[in-house]
Amino acid sequence: MKNELNIRCVMSKDALPVTGAEQAVYALVDIKALSNGHRGDMPANFGLVLDRSGSMDGEKMENLKEAAGYVVDHLNENDLVSVTVFDDQVETIIPNQPLKDRDEVKSRLGSVIPRGGTQISDGLKAGLAEAVKGFSRDRVNRILLLTDGQTWDDEAACLALADKAGRQGIAVTSIGIGEEWNEKLLLQLAERSHGDSHWIRNPIAILDTFRQEVEGMQSIAAVNLRVTARMSPGVRPVKAYATMPMISDVSTKTVNGQNITADLGSLDSRRGQTMLIEARVPSRKAGRFRLGQVEVTYDVPSRGVRGQSVKADLFVTFTDDAAAAAKVNAEVMNLVEKVSAFKLQTRALTEVEAGNIAAATQKLQSAATVLLNLGEDELAEAAENEILSLKRTGALTAAGTKKLEYGTRKLTLEMTKEMRS
Amino acid sequence: MICKQCQMENIEGALFCEECGAQLEAAGELKDNAVESSGAGPAMVFTSPGGGTLEIPAKDEVVIGREDPISEVFPDVDLTGLGGMENGVSRKHAVIHRSGADYTVEDMGSTNGTFINKKRIQPHVPQAIKPGDEVRFGKLAFSLKAA
Repeated sequence: MKNELNIRCVMSKDALPVTGAEQAVYALVDIKALSNGHRGDMPANFGLVLDRSGSMDGEKMENLKEAAGYVVDHLNENDLVSVTVFDDQVETIIPNQPLKDRDEVKSRLGSVIPRGGTQISDGLKAGLAEAVKGFSRDRVNRILLLTDGQTWDDEAACLALADKAGRQGIAVTSIGIGEEWNEKLLLQLAERSHGDSHWIRNPIAILDTFRQEVEGMQSIAAVNLRVTARMSPGVRPVKAYATMPMISDVSTKTVNGQNITADLGSLDSRRGQTMLIEARVPSRKAGRFRLGQVEVTYDVPSRGVRGQSVKADLFVTFTDDAAAAAKVNAEVMNLVEKVSAFKLQTRALTEVEAGNIAAATQKLQSAATVLLNLGEDELAEAAENEILSLKRTGALTAAGTKKLEYGTRKLTLEMTKEMRS
Repeated sequence: MICKQCQMENIEGALFCEECGAQLEAAGELKDNAVESSGAGPAMVFTSPGGGTLEIPAKDEVVIGREDPISEVFPDVDLTGLGGMENGVSRKHAVIHRSGADYTVEDMGSTNGTFINKKRIQPHVPQAIKPGDEVRFGKLAFSLKAA
């Protein structure tokens, strides 16, 4: 019997100089499904939570109904589905149930009429309650939340629900359409529940995003993925980033003293998961030094696999050979640079929120330079445009903010360019 | 390490400036330094008299013992949760070696010994084991089954 996953650990440097001082080191932990792994044989428990507020009227609602119809057509009979629609009122039009009568589900979706305002937490609460009814560790449990508007003063309630969903093992994929919604909230809903988030500018792209979501659920190779890094005495982990499906700083949740324990949800066999760990290494004499051990545990319920574990040790060699110590792994370097771009834009937005326009401008300028180095010309241009906007109006544009927020987070995805087109 | 771009002082070893994102080291490229592990699924199962099971990964070498981060001991199979400490299991107690379909167990010089079918084995001398055997680490006994 073979394992289902493979882990590959790459250090930024094999050799560190003997300096007599603490130094930084980066470890890339790449987790991939092995080709012998069964995919797509985990049934889904899928909850749609859809905004039917007045602003969804017209093209958005037409495309949304078509996309929801696609979901209904492409889920399997043993999948569970629920549909909750919300404006400032909530209606569960399909309670959690096996997908037996597809026409009935589509007929009820067809009868949804846009009206009212946007109260996301009520919709999410009801949708989560439905998903909880069908929850099973043997299923891919997921909620897809779609909205086009700002919610009414209930962000904290939304985040609490995302935390609850994450603890339960239900990922929330959040989708914003257009420009008049709160990207910070939608991104946090996804991050807190180990989900994904998408920005859709043109309603015609709703179908494609729903299709990706269904294909993603049907490509899950493992669930309850946990990465544990146990560092040797004196080694301090300082930062941890998950980079799939988007770059996410998971440090505060995961770094605890000498260990990192990161719960990363499910593993999509198409793209895997890559973590970046930044640590501080104490001064050492020349010689080989074990930094610690990375362990990945996971379940594959369809194969009766629970708590399976794969381990790999991390080593570096301290050396007096300056040339050897100057060599850096290009793959790690590239990932650190992408994370650096993400950090710079995040800090720029924080500075804008605090009213520090000069500091924000400086960070955006730095982000633009890094993005250009990465060959991300469009994102670099977006950063330049926001610098101009800051100069002219003292504020960022809604579209530019979204482009930078989503673009830099998804630098690790091949589909980034497609998303921006 | 001073950033040439913004003069910010960064920690030694940092690849990009924390302040401005500029690259700090124009370094040579390092290739093929990845460490890979796909581990392997359980090849053998130890069953304790209490009914508990312990899966032994199908690796060429599996270290059995008790995890102790302070002395940097991280065995492949950690018996702490099965009462390893109380039952006299050493941190590096034994190694199970695999060669094709054959398995041996080697005592690593443990304090309380490794036993096959109630006979203590010599330290550092691998002994063949097969399904149906009882293997004891200190006072912790298991019967061996094929997975």
